[in-house]
This record gives sequence, structure tokens and C-alpha cells, in this order.
Amino acid sequence: MEETTPDLEAQIAALEAAIASVNTLNIEIFYWWCTALMLAIHAGFLAYEMGASRSKNALASGIKNLLAFAFLVPSFYYVGWWIYNAFPGGIIPAAAPGALPWSANMGPNLADQASGIFYAAFTLFAATTASIMSGSVIERIRMSGFTILAIVLGSVVWILGAAWGWHPSGWLTSVWGLHDVGAAGCVHTIAGFFTLGVLMNLGPRMGRYNPDGTLNEIPGHNMPMSLIGLMLIVMGFFGFLGGCIIYTPDGWLTIYNTPTTLSAFAFNTLMGVAGGMIGAYLMTRDPFWMMSGALIGVISSAPALDLYYPGLAFLVSFIGGVIIPKINDFIVVRMKIDDAVGAVAVHGCSGVYGLVMAGLLASGYLNVEGPAISFTGQLMSAAVFVLLGFVPGWVLSFVLKSVGLLRVSQGVELAGLDKVEIPAKAYPEAAVPAFDLSPVSPAE
Amino acid sequence: MNTAPITSWDGAEVYYTFADKPAVVGFLILAGVAACVYTIFRMAAHEMHMAKKHG
Repeated sequence: MEETTPDLEAQIAALEAAIASVNTLNIEIFYWWCTALMLAIHAGFLAYEMGASRSKNALASGIKNLLAFAFLVPSFYYVGWWIYNAFPGGIIPAAAPGALPWSANMGPNLADQASGIFYAAFTLFAATTASIMSGSVIERIRMSGFTILAIVLGSVVWILGAAWGWHPSGWLTSVWGLHDVGAAGCVHTIAGFFTLGVLMNLGPRMGRYNPDGTLNEIPGHNMPMSLIGLMLIVMGFFGFLGGCIIYTPDGWLTIYNTPTTLSAFAFNTLMGVAGGMIGAYLMTRDPFWMMSGALIGVISSAPALDLYYPGLAFLVSFIGGVIIPKINDFIVVRMKIDDAVGAVAVHGCSGVYGLVMAGLLASGYLNVEGPAISFTGQLMSAAVFVLLGFVPGWVLSFVLKSVGLLRVSQGVELAGLDKVEIPAKAYPEAAVPAFDLSPVSPAE
Repeated sequence: MNTAPITSWDGAEVYYTFADKPAVVGFLILAGVAACVYTIFRMAAHEMHMAKKHG
């Protein structure tokens, strides 16, 4: 039986349509699961911060985390996605009608299978920035003030930085050649330095520093919970970094449209995690810092995950794991900034370190739009991220402090936030003996 | 209440509720923003009330 040319053409057209449809579905599926995996980051931050709190503040710390996530979802829908699409050129917005919350693209639409899934992935990035801040401010910040800060950080500040430096046409890339495929700058540096600005106005927890300036340790009530939380964050990073790659029918692209592979990210993510853990262990012997070292390692290698030789990523992250705990000591001991979980150093400073190292070690690689990667381009971009994080964080927290919305009263802080504000108990049976020695059993 | 903007699935594109009524969509957005703002106000009031009650 012979098929005619029109028959064959029709079959080829049908096959092409089917392939295109499968590709579109694959894209949706890929980012759907990246988004789901990123939720592990928030489960991790939840456990990590509750464990790092004293038991009298455990639930308040957890609620703060839950609130950040819940408020970020709608606020990012209302303004965040539009900011990303409208501001890659700087501070003058470009037309981005498809990202406005009332557009046909921002809801169920059979002609658009991309907007929703990318909005979702970016929303999880946004929630990550708020979670980075939330650990540092535990045990004394007001929930209302924290929620306002989280919304501004997650739905305005970081995403403006992402439009500038984590966008195919962002001006930091098109003018300075910034390369930051793993979002170390726009997510970690901005969130870390925003947090620094907040901490400067918030002040330390009561009893953290003695009158002579020496430091008192305030251990959290559940280190194992914190460690499990940190491991969950590392797991969630595989969703986070997967979401940093653009899936196309022809292969993988970075956010800057340069070609890459998931394999490249797999090599260097794992080597980064290991390098940071080992470096932090070497310097501290502390399991909390070992797991923070895993984050340091990922963030240190993140800007050039697509480019590094894995052995180089390991060393970059190892050195990050060695130096960042020391920077945290400087912040906490010398500067007397009570960063309860070290987020300024772990996220803010690791982000800067990673960006600068990419400028040193990946210099000369070509970008699709803009000049090649350079040390000066990376350094100047890091400075932009630092300022873009710090200034709004300091200004907004100063305003909140001025109107009494930033910090709880001394009485509340002494009693514990759970007892005063939360209609539930973290450990209701903590004061009950494990067994009753009285002669009368309940059965009698 | 018919909230559907489409009358057939053939060739349908945007199909979310009220997609053909921009005034309603605008109201829903404003109502959502108001719900968030109101909750933050109530959160602040709860904090102040409980702090005062606790002394």
C-alpha cells in the first residue's frame, strides 16, 4: 500500500504537533516538581528555626515561617511577577501586560502553559528569601512587623534584583556581564543583607550580650530538629537549582540563555554541598555549622554551577565553608549583631563570595547578551545586590521600629512568645512525669 | 450565577471564572489585598492585646 505525499505530510504534521504538545507538557511537569521539591526548603526552615529557638518560642518561630510563606503566595501574585517582567532595564518599568494579575495569562488559560508554572517556581524562590530572614530575627520580632518585612523582601526587593541580574535581559548581565545561574546574588545576597539591615534596628535578644560586651550563648532547644531541617533545605535546593534552568525542546539553557545540562548542575551542586560541609567541619567541629556549611557550599558555587570543573567547585565551596563561619563570628562577636542562625554570613556573605569567585575563576566565558564574565562585572554586581538588600531592609525596619511594630516588649520576650501569643503549646506534656508512681492506677 | 466566560470548549483559551468581566476580576484582586492587609492589622492588634493582658 502506497501512501501519497499529502498523507505523509499530514502524518508528519500530526507527529510534530504531538511532539510539541509533549514538550510543553514536559516543561510544565518539570517545573511542577521543582516547585514541589522547593517546598522542602520551607519544611527545612520551619524545623531548623523552631529547633534553634528556645522551647518558650518554638511555635512562634514556626508560625512566623508559615505566615511568611502564606503571605508571599498572594503578594507575589499581585505584584512580584509583574516586577520581574517589567524591570530588567532598571527602575523604569517596561510594558509587561501578561504579568499583571488581571491579565488573561495569570489564570487558567489553555493557550498559556508557562505563566502559572513559572509564577509558582518564582513564588517559592520568593518565599525562600523571607525564610532566610526569619531565622535571624527569632525570639524577639513582632509577627506583624516580620510579615510586612517578609512581603516587601519577597515580593518586591529580591525580585527587582532578579529582574536586574537573573533575567536574560537584566541590565547587570547586558551591561556588566553578570553570571549568576544559581541565583546566589538575587536570592541569597539580597536576603542576607536585607536581614542585616533589619537586625541593626531590631537589636539583640535579651541576655545575648553582657554589659561588658561579651557574648552569651543562647542554645536552641532542639539541635537534632535543626539538623534535619538543614538537610531538608539542602534537599530542596535540588528543586531550587532545577528551577534555575530553562527547559526547552532543544535542551537546557541557563537563565541567561547559554547552553547547559542538568548533569553540570548535578556535578557541582553535590561537590559544593560536600565542600562546604567539610570546610565548616574543619573550622568548627559543630554539626550546626556543618549543615550550614552545606548551604554555604551550594551558594558559593551557585553563580557558576554550569561552568566549574567539579573539583574546582569543591574547593571554592570548601574555602567558603572555612571562611564564612569566621565572618559570622565577626558579625556576632565584633559587630554585636545578634544573628541567631548566622543567615547574614551564610547567605549574604556566601553570595558575595560566590559571585566574586565566579569573576575570578570563570572570567572570559561568553554571555549571549552583554559582555563576557569578568571580575569587575561580578564585583560591581555583588555591590548592587548588597545595597539593594541592605538599604530597604534598614529603612523599612527603622520605620517599623519608629511606630512600635518591630519588636515585642521586654515582658513578652522574657515570658516567651508562645505563652503570650500562641493558643497552643509546643510540648504540653513536658512537665508531666514519664510514669506515675502513685498506688492508684487510672483503671481503678 | 453563570461565571463561565466560555460557551464551548472548542477553541477555548482563557477560561477562568469571570475572565470576561474585568470589573469583577479587579474587585477580587482588591478584596484579596484587603484580606491580607486586614489580617496583618488584626495580627498587630492581637499582639498588643495579648502583651497588655500578660502585663
